[in-house]
Amino acid sequence: MALLEVRDLSVTYSPRDSAAVRAVDRVSFDVHEGEFVGLLGESGCGKSTLGTAVLRLLDRPAAITGGSIRFDGRNVTTTPEDELRSLRWVDLSTVFQSSMNSLNPVITVRHQFADTFEAHPDAFGNKQGKGLDIGARAGELLELVALDRSVLRRYPHELSGGMKQRVALALALALEPRLVLLDEPTTGLDVVVQRDILDRLRELQARLGFAVLFISHDLGTVMELADRVMVMYAGEIVEDQPAAEMVTRHLHPYSAGLLGSYADPRDEVVKVEFIPGRPPDLSQPQQGCRFEPRCPVAVDTCRTVHPELLPAHLGEVRCLLVEQATDPRAVLDKAAALRSRDQVFAAGAEARIAAEPVLVMDGVRKVYKTRRGLSPTVTTAVDGVSFALRPGQVTALVGQSGSGKTTIARLLTGVERPTSGTIRFKDTAVDQLGRRALRKYRRHVQLVFQDPFSALNPTRTVAYALSRPLRNHLGMNAAQARTRAAELLETVGLSPAEQYLDKLPHQLSGGQRQRVVIARALAPEPELLVADEPISMLDVSIRAEIVALLDKLVRDRGIAMLYITHDLLSARLLADEVMVLNHGVMVERGPTLEVIGQAKDPYTRTLLAAIPRPGARQLT
Amino acid sequence: MTSIDTEGVRVTALAAGRVSRLPGWFVILWRNRKCRIGLVMLAAFVAVAVLAPVVAPYGPRVDEFAASTGPSGAHWLGTTARGEDVFSQLVYGARTSLVVGLVAGLLTTVIAVAVGLTAGYLQGVVDEVLSFFINLGLVIPVLPLMIVLAGYAPVKGLGLIIIVITVTGWAFGARIKRAQIITLRTRDYITAAKFAGDSTARIIAFEIVPNMISLIVVGFMGSALGAIGAEAGLAFLGLGDPQTTSWGTMLNQASLGGALTTGQWAWLVAPGLVLALLITSFTLINFGIDALSNPHLRED
Amino acid sequence: MLYFVRRAGFFVATLWAAVTLNFLIPRIQPGDPAQALLARLQGNTQAVNPVQLEAVRKMLGTQDGNLLAQYWDYLGAICTGQFGVSYSYYPYTVTEMIGTALPWTLILVGVTQLVSFAVGTLLGAWAAYRRNSRVDSVITLGSTFVGTLPFFWIALLLIFVFAITLNWFPEGGGYGGGSSPGWSWLFFSDAFQHSVLPAVALLITGPIGWIIGMRNNMVQTLGEDYARLARARGLPRRRIALTYGARIAILPNVTGFAIALGGLLGGTVLVETIFNYPGLGRLLLEAVSNKDYPLMQALFLFTTIGVLIANFLADVTYGFLDPRVRRAEAV
Repeated sequence: MALLEVRDLSVTYSPRDSAAVRAVDRVSFDVHEGEFVGLLGESGCGKSTLGTAVLRLLDRPAAITGGSIRFDGRNVTTTPEDELRSLRWVDLSTVFQSSMNSLNPVITVRHQFADTFEAHPDAFGNKQGKGLDIGARAGELLELVALDRSVLRRYPHELSGGMKQRVALALALALEPRLVLLDEPTTGLDVVVQRDILDRLRELQARLGFAVLFISHDLGTVMELADRVMVMYAGEIVEDQPAAEMVTRHLHPYSAGLLGSYADPRDEVVKVEFIPGRPPDLSQPQQGCRFEPRCPVAVDTCRTVHPELLPAHLGEVRCLLVEQATDPRAVLDKAAALRSRDQVFAAGAEARIAAEPVLVMDGVRKVYKTRRGLSPTVTTAVDGVSFALRPGQVTALVGQSGSGKTTIARLLTGVERPTSGTIRFKDTAVDQLGRRALRKYRRHVQLVFQDPFSALNPTRTVAYALSRPLRNHLGMNAAQARTRAAELLETVGLSPAEQYLDKLPHQLSGGQRQRVVIARALAPEPELLVADEPISMLDVSIRAEIVALLDKLVRDRGIAMLYITHDLLSARLLADEVMVLNHGVMVERGPTLEVIGQAKDPYTRTLLAAIPRPGARQLT
Repeated sequence: MTSIDTEGVRVTALAAGRVSRLPGWFVILWRNRKCRIGLVMLAAFVAVAVLAPVVAPYGPRVDEFAASTGPSGAHWLGTTARGEDVFSQLVYGARTSLVVGLVAGLLTTVIAVAVGLTAGYLQGVVDEVLSFFINLGLVIPVLPLMIVLAGYAPVKGLGLIIIVITVTGWAFGARIKRAQIITLRTRDYITAAKFAGDSTARIIAFEIVPNMISLIVVGFMGSALGAIGAEAGLAFLGLGDPQTTSWGTMLNQASLGGALTTGQWAWLVAPGLVLALLITSFTLINFGIDALSNPHLRED
Repeated sequence: MLYFVRRAGFFVATLWAAVTLNFLIPRIQPGDPAQALLARLQGNTQAVNPVQLEAVRKMLGTQDGNLLAQYWDYLGAICTGQFGVSYSYYPYTVTEMIGTALPWTLILVGVTQLVSFAVGTLLGAWAAYRRNSRVDSVITLGSTFVGTLPFFWIALLLIFVFAITLNWFPEGGGYGGGSSPGWSWLFFSDAFQHSVLPAVALLITGPIGWIIGMRNNMVQTLGEDYARLARARGLPRRRIALTYGARIAILPNVTGFAIALGGLLGGTVLVETIFNYPGLGRLLLEAVSNKDYPLMQALFLFTTIGVLIANFLADVTYGFLDPRVRRAEAV
């Protein structure tokens, strides 16, 4: 008998003013004592809803509409809240997606621990009677997650994001639960901090022996940490395999697509692929295989017959082709062969010919003075940074949050002026531009934003967004601007353009929005493009698509691009040159493969060590 | 305090408007039952006010009837101590309340939007100064200020009442609009508009204001409601225009004219009741807008 | 600490602004304010007596002096507590008049407001705790309905029903003819009887704002991650409602309390006028109708300062209640 047994669990959202959505559809799985299980899926696949259902924390309009959840043999699917209470946290604890807000803001950390112990007088540590010293026990727990005991006296707002997440983890371990459910526990934290927390988690899990259900969209991390990985798509589990097998011998075409979007940036040749299309709309009735419209190997029956999750290889797979094949691997080999060339994006090691730079930053330093209270504080955001951007080339700027990346972008685009040093765009001194000259300069330098949902005005159509730079910078009239807008949409792969011109942003998917954002940046025919983490908010399966688009545009049009990121993989794919920034100082700079392959600076190495290595743990 | 998801509302409204020919915001409001009732009630009040000469049997100032009579066939709600028809006054009173609500509501909203937008968008010293005035406007006791202003005014009239209400009522709306624009101005699409070469005025008018429509409508409804209440209160205290028929003046006269002692309950009850109904219609409409803007308050 | 300094700074600045506003209001009208006021007093039926003349002159400062000099005199007078003589209640000074009326208002408003706040917050919290239940809809719909009723109309109906028709309580006034203010049992019981109806009028509408504010805040806090996590931790429902819901949801209400005091004084004017209650509100209205400008000015200034002090106290309380306050934006 498994520790957690989920059988045919369905969760339906029935909002008042729109159609019901079955977010989780007849899902069955087990988690065994001491096992580390990863649940992998892209945004909207139902993985978080599934987690919330297992925790029995669903709120209206979502509700469990079928199936059962058994914990240690006991059915808890419909257990009333009052009975459930004594089981909570003792059996199953959790760390939420964003712990920014999961601690009560008006009570101290110690108080939050005390609350937990008081709610479970019979649980761990209280067993021997009333002898539990809350302070001592909470202190021990904090030390487990590498926090100082003094944190007990602090309020949540006095802690950094990483510290809060550690507190949340310590809190989850307080009663020595048998299963810990982690829902994207490190999303939003800095890469290095993420790495640190996850390493600690794995170590504690091995030491204390609790089971883990780890929900994440981050494929590399899941593959590396988990013993077993389940892949979820459109409300269903489509594959369930031991992690090592999932890396090398996955069977489902969707798993193959997901894994294909990941690669090790240190390899000689790095190749990534993407899955075209979008997940189905679950408010509509589904027939056949849900992945069929995006599947490269689908056959006619896939459209009509819904596959079941059946044993295959060392786990389970939901695919008709695998079901029918004598050698399931052959299906995937076929898939790989069928995958069209534009679905794969590869970067080799060849260097490109250097051209004359369009922008030169020389010895730039930026100091901020903030007056808080009586004594002014001086912060040096950027210190003595020099580099050049060349047409048709991509320069990646890599660094932790707070390393000065954004300040450099602001200096480059003329939003701010440097304290000292010079920035020249061809013959223009960017650091001395007046208001009007700045407007002119911006014709030549454009931005691609991180969040495609915030980069487009929700009330303005695509045509409007694209027409503004055309009319302002190129002096076009309305009709000309519309024609050009359509051309631009075709350029970024939104075709036929007529279908998109009059759409509002919310009618587009994340990837489509990002394409519109890129089209807008291209509109005034800029010579310089600053892209600030343009793929970090997108789903893994379409990231490579956007990287490929950016790459093509830059090369074809001879645009110089500054690519700001903390993701070394995309930097490796796109950039000719990499610069590493740490605390405002450029600590490393050189051809991409050189910097990533043989990092010298300790900070660059930390960044590299923070990159997940799927399958690495199984190999050693 | 919750930040209101005005962008979301705007999107829903745009989506709704696509289906039918009516404006999107109206479709959304109409779908909400409470809101629909409120809109119908308000429409009825507007109709009565516009058609007052047709609806009312007599003029509001005609005082040729027997004084202080109870309800009868000729005078449905009786007559005043001066011999005027209560029902006719009630009908004409709707005009005053609606005019005050509309005009003072509009003026207040315009000031609140202007101050809020300027403070929030420009920031820096301008913001510091304007914010101080907003906060000052919030803490100064409103009715005493109204009374003092009305007390100094050389002439009493509806215009004065409207001005007094506007001067004392803009601060709350301005504060909310300032907070909203501060979150909106950091959006990437604002930066994008700057890089697209748009001017500040254009950015405010075309990028920011459309996203604040629902907030502005809610603000207007609140201000209109406050203005109607304030006018009734001031008129009841005898600080209104004695020449204008309003529900506040009617209550004032009912209370002075001995409606309490002569048992003319209709004269006393009716003006308060219609005032309550008008306020109810506004409240119901606000329910619809609120529920849309704040997902936490949606009943599900 | 910075927070308290900033709140104190804001208090001083608003105080100065209120004092200045009070100085400016009578001078907004075109021409010489003293002349204009005197002209309007003369327009009244009774002749202007020397007392009124002197009072107005004193209030507006030396006529020949420029605005700045007048302002300086005015500030000096305020700092030394000289508000002049009330000419409708000659020979009493403005300060004496306010002193007599103050306790009445302070007790009536103080008690009813504290009760309203407590009752409203509790009901609101209860509605949020039992969200979407029958209790919730009764409380929410009930308070919405009562909230639409004009306050002064309720007061009139109360008099009509309980004083005139049923004759349970006196119609108005602060105390009956048989007693006079003093430390006697008779006076207190009489004053209590007189204050029941005004208090009820204030208490009917008083809690509405707090109910709705508290309910909405708490529905929100209970939906936050920390409350959900508390549920996952198996904390008792009551505990979650108190520490993770109400405790946080009450914070905006604390600041709201002070701001509401300003609006509340408006209600006081109405209720005191209707019930003929001898407090500050009625005094203000009388001053306005008698064109007793010195009294009017002093009353406005006095109430404003009272509200500012209450605001400052609420800010300080808030600072102690909310540990995040140093990050909070100035309200």
